[in-house]
Amino acid sequence: MKTRFLLPNKFKMIGWFLLIPSSILGILQIFYLTGSGLKFLDLEVFTIYSGSFAPWGSTTVVFGFDEVNLTGTIIGILFILGAVMVAFAKEKHEDEFIAKIRLESFLWATYINYAILLFCFLFFYGIGFMYVMIFNMFTIIILFIVRFNYVLYRSTKSLRYEK
Amino acid sequence: MFYIDPQNRCGMKNSLKVERAIKDITQEELAKIIGVSRQAINSIELGKYVPSTILALKLSRYFKKSVNEIFKLEEDD
Repeated sequence: MKTRFLLPNKFKMIGWFLLIPSSILGILQIFYLTGSGLKFLDLEVFTIYSGSFAPWGSTTVVFGFDEVNLTGTIIGILFILGAVMVAFAKEKHEDEFIAKIRLESFLWATYINYAILLFCFLFFYGIGFMYVMIFNMFTIIILFIVRFNYVLYRSTKSLRYEK
Repeated sequence: MFYIDPQNRCGMKNSLKVERAIKDITQEELAKIIGVSRQAINSIELGKYVPSTILALKLSRYFKKSVNEIFKLEEDD
């Protein structure tokens, strides 16, 4: 079947090798390094906008160079690359049935993601809500991967009962 | 509906399983000939998935029967 916008199947494996370690490192960074990151990754980099809580405070840099820590940046990039590869690599046997599961799973993941976010809007405030925002950047694709693979697994399992 | 569950049929009945029995081939073999996954054939037989026109025509060509003979509307369709 002709498919648009999907990556070749081999990317799936590469994706898992990026996604799993970066997820573990990401969680470690959020809870144990609490945002400060690894010291040797304190570097001066180009930025479009870099600043702290006051929007246009004295430390704000716009279109210039700023000293920042790149731990979260690197983990985040590896996570996104990995997750996209896992989510959008073709199955070995990509066909219209799998395409349907794919689209349905996407709809499902979007609904659930926003249901969770709606809940969090109501019950998380201050720094708690900042954590919600951090996790919410990644939840939609994770929900999709979990749901898509679960439905695929179930439809493969139901093959055992049929000759 | 929202997730694919064995009890949840999407309408339209088909005689794919019967046709397959007449030809004496497995789901796997049929899937290979038609060029789809085995899950697709299985889900069509279980009435969980309605194939595209292209897939229906390919099945019709293989079984040498018209699409209308293999796939039939149900009363509530």
